[in-house]
Amino acid sequence: MDIELSDAELAQQIGSGSDQEAEAELFRRMAPRVRLYGLRHLRDEQAADDLTQQVLITTLEALRAGRLREPEKLASFVLGTCRMTVLDLRRGAQRRQRLLEQFGAGLLAQVQWAMPRLDHDLLTRCVQDLKERERTVVVMTFYDEQTAADVAGFLGVSEANVRVLRHRAIRQLRDCMGVAV
Amino acid sequence: MTIRNRSDRATCSNPIDAAVLADYWLGVLTGAEEEAVEEHLLDCDQCGARLREVIALAEGIRSLAREGRLRMVVSDAFVKRAAEEGLRVRVYAPPPGGGVQCTVTAEDDILIARLAANLRGEKRVDLCICDERGVEQFRLPDIPVHTRANSVAYQESITFWKAAPTTKMIARLVTIDEAGGERLLGEYTFNHTRSLPGRAAE
Repeated sequence: MDIELSDAELAQQIGSGSDQEAEAELFRRMAPRVRLYGLRHLRDEQAADDLTQQVLITTLEALRAGRLREPEKLASFVLGTCRMTVLDLRRGAQRRQRLLEQFGAGLLAQVQWAMPRLDHDLLTRCVQDLKERERTVVVMTFYDEQTAADVAGFLGVSEANVRVLRHRAIRQLRDCMGVAV
Repeated sequence: MTIRNRSDRATCSNPIDAAVLADYWLGVLTGAEEEAVEEHLLDCDQCGARLREVIALAEGIRSLAREGRLRMVVSDAFVKRAAEEGLRVRVYAPPPGGGVQCTVTAEDDILIARLAANLRGEKRVDLCICDERGVEQFRLPDIPVHTRANSVAYQESITFWKAAPTTKMIARLVTIDEAGGERLLGEYTFNHTRSLPGRAAE
């Protein structure tokens, strides 16, 4: 039997008692979102995996204990936990082992990390087809990791102009790659 | 019993533009903008999927740059970064009006032509790549040049030159005035000798 639950209903289901299927669904649903947050802030796949595990276990712990009083705010709770956990990770705090011992880490094994694969040759043609300045902006930004100020200095344009060029290039690349905006 | 997400079949009512997601990935949004994007992403798998596409695009561009496959004008910071990453950078710098003997080896990763020219005050500069007879093959219009710079660093495709036969390439920097007239700033000849074993590409 299939049933559909919103985030709030899922949170209530977990809070109302031990429900392994609901807990597994929480991991399936939230793990990719938390991992994206981790990739953005930690810039490391392993660290993002660690963050995901830690945040979801903390969330599960809170739901089981009935500490989330407004289930419709599950996403906000998870985001807040992400922020706190990244701060903890940066401070070097290690709650993870204790939490893992308490709850186990097997649930994450069910989660698929689906990063899209790009056609490399097509991307080469698409990047080559950009205007010179747009290509320069995306390469300096994504490869050189130059700031907008550095790119602006090289191109002799304003930082706002660099943003416009970057946005235009990204939209054109997605269009060229056949990705719907 | 299988539990599914009720919102899976719904369309995001307020999708975040891919360019804004790229700004988020680069960390250039303001605090309030970043907070709004993160709240949305924690609640929306469709925008999350779009962010994954943006990340894949960013990683793809990074790989292309590392592989030296792009034909483009690059900054000194690019050349420095490539060398710091352990990439082997081969640079040829013929004088204006002159030529240079050149080759690439299997170990080379990045190929740079440094074209010296007086670029002071030039509003628009094009780079023309010509065959051995001087016939233009393609042009990079309005290349980024610093008005105080005295050279342009042009990256040629290392994969192309690893496969190329012994041949000659001519690069020309030209400036375009407001009436569309062209003036030569410098011409540079690269006499490429194939040094890699095996058959060259046609």
